[in-house]
Amino acid sequence: MTTILVVDDEFLITDLLAAELEDQGYRVLQAHHGRKALEILAQERPALIVTDFMMPLMNGLEMAQAIKARPEYRDLPIVLLSGAQGAIARRHPEIFAAVYDKPVELWRLSEVIRTLIGPPLGPREAD
Amino acid sequence: MPRSLKRLSSGVAGLDSILGGGLVEGSTYIVQGHPGSGKTILANQLAFHRAASGENALYATLLAESHERLFQFLSTMEFYDSAQVGSRITYVSAFQTMQEEGLDGVVHLLRREILRQKASLLILDGLLNARQKAATALDVKTFIAALQGHVAFANCTALLLTSSNFDDGSAEYTMVDGVLELREEAFGARSARRLRVRKSRGSAALPGLHQCEITDRGLVVYPRLEALLAHPSVPDEPSDARTTSGIGSLDGLLGGGLPVGSVTLLAGRSGTGKTSCGLHFLARAPLDEPALHFGFYETSARLERKARALGVDLSPLLASGHLQMLWQPPAANLLDGLGQRLLEAVRHRGVKRLFLDGLSGFARAAVDPSRLTEFFTALINELRALGVTVLATCEPQDVQGVLGVQVTLAPSEIASIADNLFLLRFAEQDGRLVRQLLVIKVRDSGFDPLPRDFVITEQGIELSVRPSGVIKAPTIKAGPGDLPL
Repeated sequence: MTTILVVDDEFLITDLLAAELEDQGYRVLQAHHGRKALEILAQERPALIVTDFMMPLMNGLEMAQAIKARPEYRDLPIVLLSGAQGAIARRHPEIFAAVYDKPVELWRLSEVIRTLIGPPLGPREAD
Repeated sequence: MPRSLKRLSSGVAGLDSILGGGLVEGSTYIVQGHPGSGKTILANQLAFHRAASGENALYATLLAESHERLFQFLSTMEFYDSAQVGSRITYVSAFQTMQEEGLDGVVHLLRREILRQKASLLILDGLLNARQKAATALDVKTFIAALQGHVAFANCTALLLTSSNFDDGSAEYTMVDGVLELREEAFGARSARRLRVRKSRGSAALPGLHQCEITDRGLVVYPRLEALLAHPSVPDEPSDARTTSGIGSLDGLLGGGLPVGSVTLLAGRSGTGKTSCGLHFLARAPLDEPALHFGFYETSARLERKARALGVDLSPLLASGHLQMLWQPPAANLLDGLGQRLLEAVRHRGVKRLFLDGLSGFARAAVDPSRLTEFFTALINELRALGVTVLATCEPQDVQGVLGVQVTLAPSEIASIADNLFLLRFAEQDGRLVRQLLVIKVRDSGFDPLPRDFVITEQGIELSVRPSGVIKAPTIKAGPGDLPL
């Protein structure tokens, strides 16, 4: 099954994104800060990460830099959703596959996710 | 000598003077108030103010509200600077941590974030949620104690925001260094926001409820004038000098004019010529007496026209800056806001001659009329100490309203605000109405107490030098201490 990891300290946003992406057929994992996301990555292999910027313990940029530093994740697309820090993130095109300013329109986000990783695959197809 | 505490300026106008110079560095405050009372604005204003002076702030929420909504709403405020968000001010949600790891998890997360962000200010929004999460009062105590410990260790000042009102005996209340309370109450059809410092450890705060309002600049607090100026800001140095009232023959009645730095109350019903007298007073301002008109009724354009009809041209005085007119639109003024605006205008230009047109404008702005006597006493004492010669108008019935006195005028209460009292009235003479001026009181000076007829012509006010021949003025309830109004 195609898995997406959603990282945001605001549970309203992770819940909303998870509900939407699950409706589309993706499997969704949630983390509430960058460190938690790295812990999940030690066990899971998502096809894509959607992350917030401003989070406790490790922000979205720090997390993305840590992930991209590892060769096995070099091709893992990371999409950033941010309010005020969009400009900072856009200075790092090598790290972020896409950057959206909050509040983001869900259809727009779904579209870019589909472009980056394609439609969700069922459990058998993913094997 | 006792050491003084290091203070942080809050960036909230008026709040620092109420707190005795600002927030005490390294202290923990509770800011409490119902939703909509302005505590989020106050806290963000403080964060942006500290960020603008190069410090870092951590804004953590225990609420289910989205930060994005907060930014949208804050972006309408002048202090909001999106460049600071995520650089000097970090907004994080600790809600999920609280759900998953409890209050210990929140303390742990905040401790690490404070150090990571090098924050000298922590704002925790949603203390009520922490309280609801806590199983016992002891848990809340432990939570606040742990938080205070970490905050003090990092030399960080903390504001804990809550929508509940803690009572004086609650764990939260006893532990923190200060408690600020914001409230909004209804007074008839109006509502008034007020701030009170309920607890201030280690320093005296101005007591009582201080009016505040939410403007584009954020929260603005107006310290209660009678508390702020319990003693005038400068020593009072009474002078024997006289200055012109603006009407030559009146100066004669007074033995050479108005005493410099005195306060004269001009009482009279509508149409008796109070504003005309005031315009003369302003127009004849000597060169060393910058003049100010502070009124509630007419705009400066209307006043200029009115003056011209009296043969008085104010435009050169206005153009040279010797005279300023400050019109107060009557809607929703705050009493202490008016007092502050007036005193700022006086101090800014070194005003020495003030015409206050309509003391009742102040009375109408008061949500609590019982403090008017104290308010006026403090305001007038400050103006006297600043050496301002004041002419203030009121309607006779308002002499009572203004002073908060119900039935008759108590001479001691007039004395507390006015050195001199003049009455303007209509009297009937041979079937005609004539205007009369009566000097009722002049402090520490002789005066001629007989009424004088006066007329308002295109050349200005002409006051008769001889006393009026026939007096048939209507009187109200003549009794001891009453005035013939």
